[in-house]
Amino acid sequence: MKSLLSMEFGKVLRLGSVRFSLVLLVLFPVLWAYAPGIYKVYDFYLVSAFQVPALSLLSSMQFLLPLLVAISAAELLGVEIANGTLQTVLLRPVSRSQWLLSKLLVVTVYPFAILAVFLVVSLLAGAPYGYGSFVGGTGLGQAGLLGQGTMGAGQAFVEVLRAYLVAGYSLVPVALLSMLLTVVFMNAAGGALATLSVLIFMQLLVVFPSLTPYLLTTQLNAYAKPVSNLGWVAALIAVYAAAFAAASVVLFERKDF
Amino acid sequence: MPTPSIEVDRLTKRYGGRPVVQDLSFTVNAGEVYALVGPNGAGKTTVIRLVAGLAFPTEGTVRMLGVNPHGDPGVRRKLGAVVEAPAAFYPYLTGRGNLRLHGRLAGGVADQRIQEVLDMMELGNAAERRVGVYSLGMRQRLGVAAAMLTRPEVLILDEPASGMDPLSLHLVHAVLREAASTGTAVLLSTHHLDEVVAYCTRVAILEEGRLIDEVNLLDRRERYRVTVDEPHRARALLDTQPWIRHAAVRGQDVVFIPVEQGAVGRVTGLLAENELSVLELTRDIFDLRGYYRERIASDRPTHSGVRPPDVGDRA
Repeated sequence: MKSLLSMEFGKVLRLGSVRFSLVLLVLFPVLWAYAPGIYKVYDFYLVSAFQVPALSLLSSMQFLLPLLVAISAAELLGVEIANGTLQTVLLRPVSRSQWLLSKLLVVTVYPFAILAVFLVVSLLAGAPYGYGSFVGGTGLGQAGLLGQGTMGAGQAFVEVLRAYLVAGYSLVPVALLSMLLTVVFMNAAGGALATLSVLIFMQLLVVFPSLTPYLLTTQLNAYAKPVSNLGWVAALIAVYAAAFAAASVVLFERKDF
Repeated sequence: MPTPSIEVDRLTKRYGGRPVVQDLSFTVNAGEVYALVGPNGAGKTTVIRLVAGLAFPTEGTVRMLGVNPHGDPGVRRKLGAVVEAPAAFYPYLTGRGNLRLHGRLAGGVADQRIQEVLDMMELGNAAERRVGVYSLGMRQRLGVAAAMLTRPEVLILDEPASGMDPLSLHLVHAVLREAASTGTAVLLSTHHLDEVVAYCTRVAILEEGRLIDEVNLLDRRERYRVTVDEPHRARALLDTQPWIRHAAVRGQDVVFIPVEQGAVGRVTGLLAENELSVLELTRDIFDLRGYYRERIASDRPTHSGVRPPDVGDRA
């Protein structure tokens, strides 16, 4: 398993979609930090580097980040199917579930990894606004971007870090859903597009208010929720993640290659 | 009786209700080279994948070295296989890098063994090149090298000769022959019928997923033909010799199977001693291509204008 895991982690940076995601995730915060129209559109001036991560996350969590995560997760398996290396590996004394589990573990870590990059780049992009105390909020706490008086740098950093960790956690089921649908369709494009379709479909289900709290897409906003409300959300995300991972393994075990 | 290395019993595979392999049974013993031949769509690749444990049978069983390859992935430690043509590798790794990865997946293979198989397949000079720039034939050779990496007891190869030049083809055949001589059971699918005759032990002819014939090439390869003036007297004479297993008249010739190859040289002397004129003594080469065409044609429904497949013409 250790050997499989190191193999799978080694493959991630070779994926085209991961490289493309990294380019976008580096460009995106820079654009936000220097966008001339922020005040005009949002009636707001950036006053601290700790506010750039909020803008990056708020503007990408509903569509861009789930899409990038879904594409990379699908490609991690899809490229093996397309190249025929899937069969090559399965002809070795490796159990199917072990091999897929190593991939599932990689795609579970992946959202945290790209969000770490996103956070670092966002903070660096905000350098001209300074890293000291400021009047306002990070945009990721209860007081929004306007805040409630002066905010210390340490407090701001913890708030941003917490939000990014929760955002990473809420993206894990998206990655696992993408892996499941790639197992179903046996190609990367099919898996990624089907994931996107499922997410769009779920977003449309907000017209059923009783369903809304349980939808995966609703949990994508968990990073903005107060810590006291996160227990239920964390459990629900874990259920989604476990269900998608288990279904992937069961289906993969029974597939003909 | 020893357990066959590969045992396929009443194997059936259906996709969406359509049978691709039907009620297929055969065995491959240690030291044998068993070939699957048949027209495109006959089910050869599906059989290879079923036996290698990549696909699940709808009915019937597959056993490799006495165990079900699906139930016990550990048996794959003794398996070397290539089921893709060209063989699939990570294009961004070198030839050696890919073999190292195979070695790790197989539980560890020494660098010395990796060098051995690279040299064996004449890829030593290309070992540090990325596989992405390999030619089709080089990939195929690397596929055989990967399959041989763990000195497998069972070798399964789908179209190993696909895309190879004649010299590479000869090399692969030599490697497979050598593997079989050391006790490895080899199962392969191919369209190269002439090569099949040269080194395979038995050949299964498949048509629409069914086994329509199985030919023991070992018997056919050891046949000799002697052209004499009185074939019936020659046959009677040969048939009584303990070093001749079987003799039969075919036109002006007598076809015989010696008990061992050394006995062939004694035939001309025996016939000359008995005042029979020997015009020619030669190996009776089995025309598998002709036989194959006949078998496929006789198995198919008679339609005017339907021509038996030209599988052998590709060789």
